[in-house]
Amino acid sequence: MTGRVIIIGGGVAGMQTAITLDELGFKPVIIEKEASLGGKLCRWDRLFPTMTPAQEVLGDLLKRVEKTASEVRTSTTVSEIEEQGRGVTLSDGSRLDAEAVVVASGFDIFPAERKEEYGYGLYDNVYTTVDVERMFREGGVRMADGREPKTVAFLHCVGSRDEKVNQRHCSRVCCITGVKQAIEVKQQIPGAEIFSFYMDMRMFGPGYEELYRQAQQQYNIHFVRGRISEASPTIDHRIHIKAEDTLIGRPLRMSVDMLILAVGMQAGSSNVAFGRNNNIDLYPSGFLRPLNQFSGNVRSSSPRLFYAGTVTAPKNIGESINEGIAAAYQVAQTLNAAKS
Amino acid sequence: MEHFRLFVLPFYAGAFFLLITLLCKYIYWFIGLSREQKRLFWRSLPTRATWKSVVEIFNESLLHRKIWRTNPLLGYMHTSFALGWFLLISVGWLETFVYFKGESVPLYVDIFFSYYVHPIFERNFNFSLIKDALLLLILVGVVLALFKRLYSRIMGMKRTTKHMLGDRVALTALWLIFPARLLAESLTSAEVWRFGGYVWTLSENTQLIPPGIGCGSFLTGSLGQWLADFLPARIIEAQHVELTAWWIYSIALGVFFVALPFSRYMHIFTEIPLIFLRNAGLRAAEKESSFDHFQVDACSRCGICIDPCQLQSGAGIQGVQSVYFLRDRRYGRLTDAVADNCLMCGRCQQACPVGIEQNTLRLNSRVKRAYPDSPNRYAYIQGKDLSTGEGKVGYFAGCMTLLTPKILRAMEQIFTAAGEEVWWADKNGGVCCGRPLKLSGEVDAARKMMDFNKNLFRQHGITTLVTSCPICLKVFKEDYALEGIEVLHHSEYLQRLLAEGRLKLRSGSETFTYHDPCELGRGSGIYEAPREVIAALGVLKEPAETREHALCCGSSLANTAIDDEGQRRIGEQVAMALAATGADSIVTACPLCKKGIAREATLPVYDLAEIVARAL
Repeated sequence: MTGRVIIIGGGVAGMQTAITLDELGFKPVIIEKEASLGGKLCRWDRLFPTMTPAQEVLGDLLKRVEKTASEVRTSTTVSEIEEQGRGVTLSDGSRLDAEAVVVASGFDIFPAERKEEYGYGLYDNVYTTVDVERMFREGGVRMADGREPKTVAFLHCVGSRDEKVNQRHCSRVCCITGVKQAIEVKQQIPGAEIFSFYMDMRMFGPGYEELYRQAQQQYNIHFVRGRISEASPTIDHRIHIKAEDTLIGRPLRMSVDMLILAVGMQAGSSNVAFGRNNNIDLYPSGFLRPLNQFSGNVRSSSPRLFYAGTVTAPKNIGESINEGIAAAYQVAQTLNAAKS
Repeated sequence: MEHFRLFVLPFYAGAFFLLITLLCKYIYWFIGLSREQKRLFWRSLPTRATWKSVVEIFNESLLHRKIWRTNPLLGYMHTSFALGWFLLISVGWLETFVYFKGESVPLYVDIFFSYYVHPIFERNFNFSLIKDALLLLILVGVVLALFKRLYSRIMGMKRTTKHMLGDRVALTALWLIFPARLLAESLTSAEVWRFGGYVWTLSENTQLIPPGIGCGSFLTGSLGQWLADFLPARIIEAQHVELTAWWIYSIALGVFFVALPFSRYMHIFTEIPLIFLRNAGLRAAEKESSFDHFQVDACSRCGICIDPCQLQSGAGIQGVQSVYFLRDRRYGRLTDAVADNCLMCGRCQQACPVGIEQNTLRLNSRVKRAYPDSPNRYAYIQGKDLSTGEGKVGYFAGCMTLLTPKILRAMEQIFTAAGEEVWWADKNGGVCCGRPLKLSGEVDAARKMMDFNKNLFRQHGITTLVTSCPICLKVFKEDYALEGIEVLHHSEYLQRLLAEGRLKLRSGSETFTYHDPCELGRGSGIYEAPREVIAALGVLKEPAETREHALCCGSSLANTAIDDEGQRRIGEQVAMALAATGADSIVTACPLCKKGIAREATLPVYDLAEIVARAL
C-alpha cells in the first residue's frame, strides 16, 4: 500500500480533493497541465454573487495545498487512465502507479469563433465574458481604441443550449456571470446603457436571483428576451446587431459600442481520450457520466476511479469544491476497506 | 377451333386487360399535356431525336447499360429479364411465321407454340435451341433475383426496396412464369419422348414423331427425356399433368399482366413513351403536369437510389428516399413527412438508371402541398434598398454569407486587391434570393423576393453579379432571367481574376481537400473553377466521392423535416470522409456547407475566398 492517489487536474476540485485526501492520510499527486495550480479560477476577477475577489479563494486553496504532503506535477498531462484506476500514463510516456485515480480535469471554454455570425476574432469590440474578466483584472472594460463603451450588449447562451454547435446542455453559470459583469460594467461606467439578450435567466444559486433583480432595479440593465441572430461591424467600428424581442414579437436592430458573448462550458477536450477506458462513460455532450446522478455523483463503474468538479457537468466553484471533498471521502472508504 | 384449349384463357384475359389499361393511361396522360408539350412531341417526329430515342430504348429498356455500370450481376439480372424475354417473344413469333409460312394462325398457337407444335429441329432452322438458350438466360436471371433478396450486397446494393403487397404479387407471378414454362415444355417433350406425337401442319397430311425422339432442345428436350425416363408411365400418359403445367404457365402470365399496370412493373412499358417525350424536350416543371405521370410510373422501384441517399446512410432515416416518394405520389398517399424529408442533394438523380427528375418532381409535389401565400406577407420588403457602393460588378452575399462574415471579409479584401469597383447589394442586409422559399414549395412567395432583387439589380445598372452562395447562384441563373447581367459564382470570378492576372497569390505546399456543394456541383455543373483556384494556392487532395458523386453536407435548406441530430450525423459523415484524405484543411465554396461541415470537423474548414484572401 503506497497510499498514492492521482488527481488529474489542479483546479478548485482537484486542489480540494488533495487537501481532504491528505487530511485522511493518503498521498495525493496532482497532475496539472498548466504551469501552475488554480485552473480557470486564475482567470477570474471577482466571483458571483458575492463579488469576492477570485484571488482570495484561490490563495486560500493554494496555501492549504502547500501545507499538505501532496506532490504537484505541473505542465504534465495524462494521456491514458488504466482500466482499473491503478495508474496512469503521462504525456512523456512514463507510467505512474496509484491506489486510485480522481479525474478532476474540468471543462473547456466554448470557442466563440465557432459562432461566426457574431464576428468574434473578426470584428473589433466583440469580446467574451472571459475577456471581460481579464479586462477587469487589468483595470476595467475598454474598447479596442481604449475608450470606455457607452452602450454594451451582453448575449447569453453562446455555446450553450445551441444545437447548431452541438452544445445542447445548459452551462448554468453563464447567466449569473453575465448579470455580475453587467453590474460591474455599470459600476465602472455609470452612464453606460446595457442590454442583455437572453432566452431564459437561470438563477439557480443562493443570492443569484437577488443579484438579477438588483441588476434590473438598481442598475437599470435592460434585459431583452431574444437572441441576437447576427452582428456586423459599422464603419465607425461599432457593432450592429439584429435580434428579436420575443416578448413583444418584433425584430430589433441596434448599434452598440461593445458586444460581450457569455460563452458556455463545453466538455474538456481530454474526455475523449479518457473515455477509451472502458470504465469511463461519456454523455452525448462529452462530459463524463458518473455512476449515477443521485448517490454516485463522484463514482465511476470502477471502484478505484472517481470524479470531481466540472468534468461531469457544468458546476459553480462551491459545488466543485464540495465534490472534491466527496470524492476524497469515497476514495478513503474504498482504500480503507481494501486494506482491512 | 379443334385445337383450342381452355388453359389459354387466363393469358388472353390478362393480355387484353393489360392492353386496354395501358392504352387508356397513356392516351389520358398524353391528352393532359399542355399544347406546347404536345407541339414539342409532334415536332420531334421523325427527327434525329426519334432515332436517339430508339437507340436509348434499346440501350436502357432492353440492355439496361446504366445498371451494368452499378454492378455487373445486377445488370445481368435486369438484361436477362428484359432482353431475354423480349427476344424469346420475338424468336417465338419468327418461328411461328416460318413454321406456318406466313399463314395466320390463332395467337394462342404463337404463345403456346411448344404445346401445339412439337418442334423438332431436324425439320426446321433450330429455333428450339435459341429458345432454350434464351429461357436458360432468363432462368439464371430469376435465380439471381432470388439471390438478391438474400444477399443484395454482393449485387452492389446494401439496401433494397421494401415492396408493397401488389408488387409482391406481380413479382411472384413474374418469377413463376419462366420455371412454369420450363416445366410445361419439358412435360410436353416427355410425352413425345415416351409416346411419340404428331407435328401439326397446315396441310392435311400430319407428320408423326415416333417415340424416343422427343421435342425441344438441350434444356426442355433433355429435361423431357429425363422426365420420360424418371416419371412413371401413367403420370406422363395422364394428359392432365401436362395440361396443369400449361395452366400454371398461362395463369402466371395472366396474373402478371393484370398486376402490371398497378405495380412497379408499369415501368417496363412506360419507359418507352418517357424516352420519346424526354428526347422531344419535355421536362418536369415547378408545377405538376401530366408529363410527370410518365416519369412517376417509369420508376421500377429498383432501389438503386437508396444507397446513395445520406439520409439513410448518414442519419438512419428510412422510407423517404426517391423510390418511396415516387411510390407514395403515384398511389396518391404522399405525406409531408415524406415530401419534405429530402436534402435535394441530387445524389439519387445521379444514380437513377431511368433518369427520373427526382428533384423537380419532389419540388412540384411540395408546391402542390404548400399553403397559399397571403398578399401582405412580404409587403415590408418594398423599397428596402440597403445597398452601398457603386460599380459594374455587383456582389450579393446572401443570408448565409452574412452569417459567415469571414467569407464576406475575404471578398472585401479580394475586391480591393483586384481593384474592382463593387456595388454591394446586401452587405447591410437585404432581401432573400427566394430559393429557400421555392425549395419549400412556396413559389409565389419566392417570386416576390425574386422580382424585388431583380429590380434592384436592374436599377443599379450592374453587368456582372457575383455571389458566394451557390443557393443564390442557382436561383439567379434559373429563375431570375437576368439578360445582360452575367451571373458568376465567386469561384468562377476568382478563377477569372487569376487568369487575367489581376490577383497575385502566394503559392505554397499546403494541402487542401475540396467539398463540392450540391447546388454548385450537381446543381450548377461548376466543378473546375474552385479546383483551379485551389491549385493556384497549394495541393488538392480529392475525397473518395467527389464531383458529381460528392456527398452532401447535410445542412441543405431543402430539407424542412430533418431534425438537428440528423443534420449533425450527415455532417459528421462528410467531415470524416474529407479528413480521410489527409489534407491540412477542408475547403468548400458554400457558406452553408462550411457551417455544416465545421460542426463535426477535426480539420479547419474554410471557404475558397478565405484561403485566397489569406494568400494575397
